[in-house]
Amino acid sequence: MSAEADSTAHVATRVYKPAMGAGWWTRKRHYFLYMVREFTALPMAAWLLWFLIEIQRSGSVRTFRPGTSTAFVIFSFICLLFALYHSITFLSLAGVIIHAKVLDRPVPPRAIVLTMFGLWFVASIVIGAVLIGFGR
Amino acid sequence: MADKRITIRAARFDPEKDKAPHLQSYDIPFSDDSMVVLDALNYIKAHVDGSLSYRWSCRMGICGSCGMTVNGTPKLTCSAFLRDYWPRPVTVAPLTNFPVVRDLVVDMEDFMQKLKSVKPWIIRKREMPLGAGEHRQTMDQIDDFRQFSQCINCMLCYAACPVYGLDNKFLGPAAIALARRYNLDSRDQGTKIRLPVLAQADGVWECSFVGECSVVCPKGVDPAKAIQQTKLDTTLRFTLPYGNRE
Repeated sequence: MSAEADSTAHVATRVYKPAMGAGWWTRKRHYFLYMVREFTALPMAAWLLWFLIEIQRSGSVRTFRPGTSTAFVIFSFICLLFALYHSITFLSLAGVIIHAKVLDRPVPPRAIVLTMFGLWFVASIVIGAVLIGFGR
Repeated sequence: MADKRITIRAARFDPEKDKAPHLQSYDIPFSDDSMVVLDALNYIKAHVDGSLSYRWSCRMGICGSCGMTVNGTPKLTCSAFLRDYWPRPVTVAPLTNFPVVRDLVVDMEDFMQKLKSVKPWIIRKREMPLGAGEHRQTMDQIDDFRQFSQCINCMLCYAACPVYGLDNKFLGPAAIALARRYNLDSRDQGTKIRLPVLAQADGVWECSFVGECSVVCPKGVDPAKAIQQTKLDTTLRFTLPYGNRE
């Protein structure tokens, strides 16, 4: 614990105010997994930037072919893992977050989670179809 | 069995002498497998060192007074069994994220102010006279908030919350869980009064869903759930037409 005695506190005697160290997230597995979840945003942002650079290099969106850079393909695969980790952990929590009722009866959390994964699957197919359709 | 002993390392802090807490070791008999950390502290106070200061009351996980950090995890010491730690030493420290007043006693004032700010009681637009009858509820209506009403204000969730540790302006898990408890109560009409406190910058939106508050909660309240539900609720109220209609 790092020390910081505060004599200005509202209590008459001096109190000790503990400060959180920069490595707090290494203290517990749960904290560490939380940081990994939050960190997934960074590689995804980097991937988006690289993606735009690859398009610019190829001249236009029409002439862009994703398989031309091996490094980009490998990085995309790694980012896919990060994206899946983020999406799965996020959607799995939907049952906790959403408090829904149908016909005055609460919807079971498992049904909400399954609906979210179903919607994710449908959205992926629709977006994939749109992208492939535009690519032709 | 009578010869079995355990080492308790208790944090000591004398505001008149010390700049920071330090650990003091006590080797005490561990005579009974049902002994909890609080029993060990009581033994030390009664037989070894009467100057050790800590809070406790009911000894049965109801009052929420004896919350401390046991081997790095916020726990009610009345339900932390020594058998789960023996033969390793047990380190007992005050709840993290709170100013330490003495030894294992923390200053609860900040939490008390936050709790008061969410008005954790039933608010009615117009109070009815007692003779007008009861405010009846169905079992389903009680089930809506039952989980959140189990909170005993032990503050373990605040000690486990890194968001509160980094910025203690955050309203915090227990206060939000109790606000949610009353917002879900069919007898309550105070949601609009609580919303400005809950939806402010230091309210629910400060939470980044670490989830440790729900892990350490000794009563299964799941404050993280209450916070995320309140985020969704405040968003819907803000975006949907007639969202704020009571």
